[in-house]
Amino acid sequence: MERRAALKGLATAIGGLVALPSWASNWNHTTLQPTDLLSAEEVPLLAGVVDTIIPKTDTPGAKELGVDRFIQLMVKDCYDSNAQETLKKGLATVEEDSKETFGKSFTACNAAQRMHILEGMSLSDDATSKGFFGMVKGLTIQGYMSSEYVMTNITKYQMIPARWNGCVPVTQ
Amino acid sequence: MSYFNIDSQKARTYDAIVIGSGISGGWAAKELCDKGLKTLVLERGRDVKHNVDYPTTMKMPWEFEHRERMPLEVVKENPIQSKCYNFKESAAHFFIKDKEHPYVQEKPFDWIRGYQVGGKSLLWARQTQRWSQFDFEGPARDGFAVEWPISYNDIAPWYSHVEKFAGITGNKDGLDSLPDGEFLPPYDLNCVEKYFKESVAKKHKDRHIIISRAAHISQPQQIHLDQGRAQCMSRQMCERGCPFGGYFSSNSSTIPWAAKTGNMTLRPQSVVHSIIYDEKKGKATGVRVIDANTKEMMEFYAKIIFVNAAALNTNLVLLNSTSSRFPNGLGNDSGVLGKYVAFHNYRARISAEYDGHLDTTTAGARPNGGGYIPRFRNVYKQDTDFLRGYAAGFGAHRISYNSREGLGEDLKANLFKREMGGWGVGSHMMGETIPKESNYVALDKNLKDPFGIPQLKISIDYDDNDDKMVKDYLEQMTEMFTEAGFKNIRSSDSKQAPGLDIHEMGGVRMGKDPKTSMLNKWNQIHSVPNVFVTDGASMTSTSTQNPSLTYMALTARAVDYAVKQMKAKSL
Repeated sequence: MERRAALKGLATAIGGLVALPSWASNWNHTTLQPTDLLSAEEVPLLAGVVDTIIPKTDTPGAKELGVDRFIQLMVKDCYDSNAQETLKKGLATVEEDSKETFGKSFTACNAAQRMHILEGMSLSDDATSKGFFGMVKGLTIQGYMSSEYVMTNITKYQMIPARWNGCVPVTQ
Repeated sequence: MSYFNIDSQKARTYDAIVIGSGISGGWAAKELCDKGLKTLVLERGRDVKHNVDYPTTMKMPWEFEHRERMPLEVVKENPIQSKCYNFKESAAHFFIKDKEHPYVQEKPFDWIRGYQVGGKSLLWARQTQRWSQFDFEGPARDGFAVEWPISYNDIAPWYSHVEKFAGITGNKDGLDSLPDGEFLPPYDLNCVEKYFKESVAKKHKDRHIIISRAAHISQPQQIHLDQGRAQCMSRQMCERGCPFGGYFSSNSSTIPWAAKTGNMTLRPQSVVHSIIYDEKKGKATGVRVIDANTKEMMEFYAKIIFVNAAALNTNLVLLNSTSSRFPNGLGNDSGVLGKYVAFHNYRARISAEYDGHLDTTTAGARPNGGGYIPRFRNVYKQDTDFLRGYAAGFGAHRISYNSREGLGEDLKANLFKREMGGWGVGSHMMGETIPKESNYVALDKNLKDPFGIPQLKISIDYDDNDDKMVKDYLEQMTEMFTEAGFKNIRSSDSKQAPGLDIHEMGGVRMGKDPKTSMLNKWNQIHSVPNVFVTDGASMTSTSTQNPSLTYMALTARAVDYAVKQMKAKSL
């Protein structure tokens, strides 16, 4: 009887999960739908930018973890139109600077060249360039550090700590 | 047809009706059902079943597509609810939508609401400190509001009653200003909190830093297992609803308990319009309800009615319950209904850094929020230029961070290298505000809500006493922080509107004299003795403690009295 009740409860619980609010639905980088915030040309540019900020090494880079799509979603849904414009204008500047400096598209540049472009923007006096760099770097770090891969494999997130000790020695 | 009507009326008749299923309504339901009364619990919002209706409770951080941040459009559509710290992707579904429940702000008031079974008991901060005799005697000693009709001794056994069932973690600190309760084992203060406790005690004999007391099951007892609740896992995501029942909510505790008796009928989607008063019988006979789905008006009947709609909505229900006997609201002979509303002053915060105790840190997590400083101002006698005082939260945490310097592989290496900093310390105030006639709620004469019920007009503000208290809190904390050697002290006054404290109280106050109060010492309306108000509306003054525990105790005490009176046929 208890088992049956438990199974019934579980079934109801699973039923309940179907009725999630849209923002609570499960997602990862393979299911996240692209937004219409960026054009077909801007999308790979942003992917190139996040992959420059956090590249693939012996662990995945930001692009591989879908952080560029996370940024599009955040800026589209949670940021105002000024920030959206900053994102688009900044990407245009990235491309212009690449062509001017290296004679080719940002996505065709090598890692050192791409770093050069982004560092230039971070030091720029132009508010849009500086704003773009700060926003995209911040969102890249947020999206990357809160990704399933990093939280599971590297930072070892614990959902259920179930313990508390207010005073323990620091061990390095 | 007439048979049908009689049957229908019988089917809608109960021993008791409880309006509201939040923290106090849940208690009314449990106590009434335990005592064998067939009880109808009316909830204006949807049903939220324990576990089944906690859609986000097991979600991992990366499963929230905006990482808990609410879309801008949702924030714009909900300018009030979105001010609450819990209005985020994991818990926003437990808040109302502002558009659907309009009210009139004669003065700015952030009215935070959760319309569902369990109400705001799903979202509360779970702090459960008892009031002391110094709190109950406040209005009489300092000459504001009216005298409380009860003393600490009247309510103490009922604090024990609700604490044992709800499960309260705490330490027996032996303080006059904050009586001990029935505690489950305490969580520890951390090393810097303990250090601050000692530092303060050296210079200020009357100031204590204790571990906060909170409704978490730190070690389950049989009574908690009987409720299907288990030990708190320190997840610190209570606002999602807890799969362990580790913290107290109506949903995990009182409501399922009441249901198990077989005596409870829970009716969600039932918006109470008003209480029906029978002039011949000289008492209330039932409740008018609008079905939220069909908009159909219907009536339910009972011998006694408990009003637990949450402080301001309880005011609204009574104000809207008019008859020729009570043209200004049910039981409102005195004219005080809706007046003397007060709240808690949470405006001031202070933070600092500490570079001692660097060889220690903390491990794991605790659910109860950290340290608590009971009121030390004006406790035994008046000793400042403002009335009453403030309690405060206090917490310390070891700072650890990842450097965000660099780009590319450098940045990546920095992000994966956890650096340890010093300690961060912080505190916030919880000030008593003085109930005044000029802080009131009333029905708007013209505007109605989507159910055709008059909108509530809210006119509540801070005063000079509150400003003085903010100043004193910041001065005293700055002094104590400085004495402890804390550095980079930063203080702020948020000037947040009343309401965001979510501790609104009063409007249907208890008192000794029917000419100046609405309720007697049993939370019974003076002139309508079969109606009881035991939520925040009943509060004569506000003290400094988080109020929910006191509502629970008042409710259990009032139910005990009501049922005894029914048995003695005097109700």
